[in-house]
Amino acid sequence: MTKRRFPRLQGATGWALSAPATLAVLGFLLVPIGAVIAGTFMDPRGVFAPYISYFNSGFRTTVLFRTLQIAALTTIISLIFGFMTAYVVSRAPGKLKSLLIIAAVFPLLTGVVVRAFAWLIILGRNGILNQTLLGLGITSEPLEMLYTQGAVIVGMVYLFVPLMVLSLVGVLENIPRDVLQASSSLGASPIATFWQVLLPLAVPGLIVGAVLVFTGSFTAYATPQLLGGERQTVLATLLHQRAMVSFDWVGASTIAAIMTVITIAIVLAMSHIARRINPMAT
Amino acid sequence: MSDRPHPFLIAVAALVYFFLMVPLVIVVGAALSDTTYLTFPPQGLSLRWFENIFEISAFRRTIVTSLQIAFLGTLIALIIGIPAAYALNRFRVELPKWLGTLFVLPILVPEIVFGFALLKSLTVGAGVPIFAALLIGHTLLVLPYVVRVISASLASFDFSIEEAAISLGSAPLKTFFTIVMPNVRAGVIAAFILAFITSLNDVSVSLFLTGPGISTLPIQILAHVEQFFDPTVASVSVLLMFLTVAVMAVVERTLGLTFLAK
Amino acid sequence: MTQPLDIHAVSAHYGTTKVLEDLSLSVQAGELVSLLGASGCGKTTTLRLIAGFLSPTSGSIKLGGRDLTRLPTHKRDIGLVFQNYALFPHLSVLDNVAFGLKQRGLGASDRRKSALAMLERVGLAPLAERTPGALSGGQKQRVALARALVIEPPLLMFDEPLSNLDAKLRVEMRVEIRQLQRANGTTSVYVTHDQEEAFSISDRVAIMNAGRLMQFDRPEVLYRQPANTFVASFVGFENIIPFTVVGREGETVTAETAGMRLRLSQNAFGAIPDTFLLATRADGLMVSTDPAAEGIPAQLGLRTYLGRAYQYQCETAAGHLVANGSLTAPLDPGTGVKLVPVPEQCSILMPDEAR
Repeated sequence: MTKRRFPRLQGATGWALSAPATLAVLGFLLVPIGAVIAGTFMDPRGVFAPYISYFNSGFRTTVLFRTLQIAALTTIISLIFGFMTAYVVSRAPGKLKSLLIIAAVFPLLTGVVVRAFAWLIILGRNGILNQTLLGLGITSEPLEMLYTQGAVIVGMVYLFVPLMVLSLVGVLENIPRDVLQASSSLGASPIATFWQVLLPLAVPGLIVGAVLVFTGSFTAYATPQLLGGERQTVLATLLHQRAMVSFDWVGASTIAAIMTVITIAIVLAMSHIARRINPMAT
Repeated sequence: MSDRPHPFLIAVAALVYFFLMVPLVIVVGAALSDTTYLTFPPQGLSLRWFENIFEISAFRRTIVTSLQIAFLGTLIALIIGIPAAYALNRFRVELPKWLGTLFVLPILVPEIVFGFALLKSLTVGAGVPIFAALLIGHTLLVLPYVVRVISASLASFDFSIEEAAISLGSAPLKTFFTIVMPNVRAGVIAAFILAFITSLNDVSVSLFLTGPGISTLPIQILAHVEQFFDPTVASVSVLLMFLTVAVMAVVERTLGLTFLAK
Repeated sequence: MTQPLDIHAVSAHYGTTKVLEDLSLSVQAGELVSLLGASGCGKTTTLRLIAGFLSPTSGSIKLGGRDLTRLPTHKRDIGLVFQNYALFPHLSVLDNVAFGLKQRGLGASDRRKSALAMLERVGLAPLAERTPGALSGGQKQRVALARALVIEPPLLMFDEPLSNLDAKLRVEMRVEIRQLQRANGTTSVYVTHDQEEAFSISDRVAIMNAGRLMQFDRPEVLYRQPANTFVASFVGFENIIPFTVVGREGETVTAETAGMRLRLSQNAFGAIPDTFLLATRADGLMVSTDPAAEGIPAQLGLRTYLGRAYQYQCETAAGHLVANGSLTAPLDPGTGVKLVPVPEQCSILMPDEAR
């Protein structure tokens, strides 16, 4: 840091090197999205007219709350199962641990369409689950599992649990081992160590994981489209439907604006909380 | 060690992994079935549905488009992303903080909103051809990954090595390629693979940027599933999974797989 | 509360590598014993075995008659001070100290009172509400110490507790640790690789090497009478010279090495075997220019200035030796001299069995 002789010139080099990427993000991402959001406030009917008409529609408010509900449930389920799984993975011996990590990475690298499609085969009217239940005589006629909120949540949890596991394994491994050993040397049972030391130290990681899963499931398209259909319309499928089927540009833009604002608000709020309660920061 | 997890936790973890693996196994099984409808376990083994992929011209075309877009988009993202990542690390003091944040921003924006915005401004607003718009969309989609992964490997790079090379008479640009790049090679490979797979699997951005004659494979799969319920899609899925396995094998060979978990 | 620790015939493996072999060690009630050795000698393994982070493959560990060998760590009731302090980053200084009391079911107000009293003793009461992240290294060390002491454990263990502190603070802290330990009379095991630290703080020191106990005694004995060549060179005996006995007259033994004869009294050294090793520090070999002196003929090499003496690297028929000479008459390299052993500063060792 001491021998920067031409800081001005070096700054210029830095700007020049990052210029193409900066301009690409500005020109192709920020400006178009800004234009979409700005466009919703230029309605001839009034500044907030598109939003008023959005929230006046019972169907569209239902869609918004359904989307929030699905995202919240997906996040909670993924947190609970992801944390328990990540704990086991982080404690596994070396070889097994890499195998378990690979097994979590693989579904992540498999596309969302493929993963939603798998549940279509399982949950369908003539799907594997129904065939099994009928075969075992548990039900006498096939259950209608597809196109329910449960199906969408199962598909979403399937999508996001690996993400949660992987981000939490990293967090749990970063908790110094000697802190946990100190806890048991002071007489804390494994369960006491879990609740009083491990969990509080993992909270920032849990928040990061929750944000990833919540925003991901709040904006997902393929899974609700395939497993929820029109009966379980969410914001993303509604946006697509407004834009590509009804050609209702203002309606679509309004949905886009609502999704963007909620996503960013949640990310900012949660990262603020995470920063405030992070015990590792002094 | 005495800190073995509680049997209940082990049982939960085993269930979660069962839940993760079984659907993928079912897709593979369904793809191999000889029947005209989707079923598992497969009845009769056959590769006819794999042949069927290539008999349907829409699949043939979209596979090619998807590979083209993924390759070109990743390449462009690397070409503009590597200098940016380098600048952000090398000139950390001179450049403002928000510049780094700018490259994280695309992750915060819902992809589907981004796709819609590109449709509105590029395709409809500026008459940009669909293929070009699709390419731009995918480049921007993967750019944050590229910048982040390469930044991470540059963060541990000691820039005094670069200064040493320059003091020994190596020209700055040559130094970048002979000294800096070899040291972040792992990061570049990881970024390429992550970006390529992300692009190949993308639905949300591509959704709005398809048109007559141009579509990507995931979009085509979605369209096919909504009309037919035969094992073709299972076969395509298996093809994509094989591709993923191949890529993971390459990563394993070059970097070790835990790298991807970061 | 003070209890003896008894380690009996303990062995430990990491996978297939043996890290500790047949270690037996008894620490008396109230005694502070250091485990001293280079990294990999087994001292940390021993501590982790006592704490219960590792299980021995054989042998037993007893504390005041209570068998710890199969007991989980949290039931062993041992105070442990970690090298990296291992403070709970999410708890205040006070809650860190009170943590062990909480596990013992103490009520909130009692916990607070005892923890504050302990913080008072280590001089940190004003910082009770801070989080550990805001403390300096020395303060963290005191919190770690308070946390281990407040549970009044029958055994206190230290894992290189001062290695992250600067030199001045290290000396201060070790005095403080010793005072606290003395005042409480708690049986203590102290792991370190720093010889000065171990010798200054301990009642007895166990010197370890390659998973074995080399010698276990008071620092004064270790320093003057090492039991074998390993301990001798560890405590700074630069010269180890092989001798053969050529004659015995009563208690006086005459022994010979390259070019010299030496007379030693068995009254001073105990029974002397027919072949032995004579170990001395550089101070125990006098450089003499008197050609008639009875000493090892040597050719002086490099001379270095130590402040209290000149030190010479010497070549002799018995190999390379190091000797100190007087400040008044510096000698030049190449000078032929005699190196005369000072019996009071020498120690006699058995030749080590072939390893």
